[in-house]
Amino acid sequence: MARLLTNTVLLGMLSGAVTAAENTSEFPNFTLHGVLDLRYQIMDAQSGELQHGLGKFRSGAEGDRLRVNEAAVVLQTRLSWDWSGTFTLKYADKQHNPLDLTEAFLSYRPVSTSGWRIGGRVGMFFPPISLENTGTAWSSPYTLNSSAINSWVGEELRSFGGEAQLSYQLDSGDRLGLFAAGLANNDATGVLLAWRGWSLQDYESTLQDRLRLPDNIGIRSLFPRQAAFTQPFVEVDGRPGYYVGLNAEQANRYTFRALYYDNSADPSAINNGQYAWHTRFFSLGLKAELPWELTLISQGISGRTSMGDIKDGKRAVDVGFWSASLLFSKSFGNHRLSFRHDRFGTDENDYLPQDRNSENGYAWTANYNLTLAQRHQLNFEVSHINSNRPARASLGQSSNQEETLWQVAYRLFF
Amino acid sequence: MASRLSPVFLSCSVAAVALQANADSISGTVENAGKPLASVVITAEPTVNGKPSSANVNPVTMKMDQKGKEFVPHVLAIKVGTPVYFPNSDDIQHHVYSFSQAKRFEIKLYKGTPSAPVIFNQPGVVALGCNIHDWMLGFVFVTESPYFAISDDAGRWTLDLPSGDYQLSLWHPDAAVELPPQTLRVPLEQSLHHVIDLKMSRRTGKPPGTLQAEGYADGF
Repeated sequence: MARLLTNTVLLGMLSGAVTAAENTSEFPNFTLHGVLDLRYQIMDAQSGELQHGLGKFRSGAEGDRLRVNEAAVVLQTRLSWDWSGTFTLKYADKQHNPLDLTEAFLSYRPVSTSGWRIGGRVGMFFPPISLENTGTAWSSPYTLNSSAINSWVGEELRSFGGEAQLSYQLDSGDRLGLFAAGLANNDATGVLLAWRGWSLQDYESTLQDRLRLPDNIGIRSLFPRQAAFTQPFVEVDGRPGYYVGLNAEQANRYTFRALYYDNSADPSAINNGQYAWHTRFFSLGLKAELPWELTLISQGISGRTSMGDIKDGKRAVDVGFWSASLLFSKSFGNHRLSFRHDRFGTDENDYLPQDRNSENGYAWTANYNLTLAQRHQLNFEVSHINSNRPARASLGQSSNQEETLWQVAYRLFF
Repeated sequence: MASRLSPVFLSCSVAAVALQANADSISGTVENAGKPLASVVITAEPTVNGKPSSANVNPVTMKMDQKGKEFVPHVLAIKVGTPVYFPNSDDIQHHVYSFSQAKRFEIKLYKGTPSAPVIFNQPGVVALGCNIHDWMLGFVFVTESPYFAISDDAGRWTLDLPSGDYQLSLWHPDAAVELPPQTLRVPLEQSLHHVIDLKMSRRTGKPPGTLQAEGYADGF
């Protein structure tokens, strides 16, 4: 009898386990998305980052180019009802490692049956700054080239660490939230803004990436320990950074986001050819749905980055930076028309005036795209930048430059 | 069993149960900006000397499906106490939840696996979301009145009502302003027509129109 009971209990446990296994066998599950981006470019521009230049686009002084701009795969895996993972593996033209990660993080998002909601992410992910790059693999549905701010976010900003979110939401979908993150591997952030300046492009740096620094403007002679490239995501001084922010949304009407970021880097630290740049800034973003189905997105950023030793109370490099953008976009069925204006500038207050890091400029971008069958997207875009950067004199160029880039892109989303 | 029946059929069956002697039918149309407006809940409260009275009707079971990563129907109207099944016709999981005052619940929907019904025992509007698919949005309109209908895609609705006095109310999730209730006497010869202004921006509860928009989530 006891045996029968034991068997029954065991059988019951087994069937329970099998049922549980059946129910949970659904996890993990996987979803694959991605983008293939073919590009034809006609440019009238100075050498850019790809040519170690001070041009404002990623590439310049080249003939017309037809190429695979980017191919990215986003693997989303659901590990349980509360946890999921996102991994973005990317190939891009002239990327340091042909295949590398742009993001890799786990998200924790438990369901909430009260208005309060918590969530978080750990891993490598974009800090929540861009309100434009909301598509597959951080692409923008509005333009090919990102705004000056978001170009910089793509190049030099990534969170390596953890982010926690707390928000309160209403039935209407309106919500108000706070978020905070602790960060590592962000000590080189700021070097490109100081030495190369703002840019307009759509390259997202990857985990093991190396980006080119400008040649022939005196960086190597003033800073002989600096490598010829920057590794955007290295830890130099062992000090963690952070950001804190606020997110407010009125469902489908407005999104407002404010963030303060400080990588808390020790500006006197250097390791393996990479200086630590103490970079801190405020970022504001507003997205609004206006009448006539017009979308407005505006972002602003203002901050400083400092590096090197102190003489007479000044650092070797101490650059203030700011930028603002205003985008209007309207969709007509499958068609979308977008216009953006960018303004940007840097100034410096350091003891090395011969290292000229100030600039100012503005840019116009116009894009038309057509999306067919939800996945085939044809883009026509023109970007025009007018900028002044005194350091160009070292290259024998006029400090004022006007640069134009025409682009035709076919993007396949899956 | 109930889950196999279409919501429209079920709505009709509720009205059929409500059918009593001397029943009369009233009907109407709802429009917004010259176009028929679907998903408007029309409720008729019987008034006796100006006070509501309720008919005693046994609730039937209803269903709110998950199909093509959206709630189908977008709006479901039920009487208080009605059990609602949440089937999952998609081949992925959905995690349905609500934090509305009228009903707070969560229900984990494995693909193709039925789960216990949710009983809505308080009147009010219950907004539904999916914790996995942020855009998903559905509504369960829970009423104490036994007489209610939902406008169809042509904006048409019909209610079978016993003769008497009623207070008629209209509700739509995206209505810009709530329409004031209207009193009427049944039988009513003419058909009713209402115009509802909608909010400028509306959450449709449907998946994004492009794969580009669907392929990325930053948790914000």
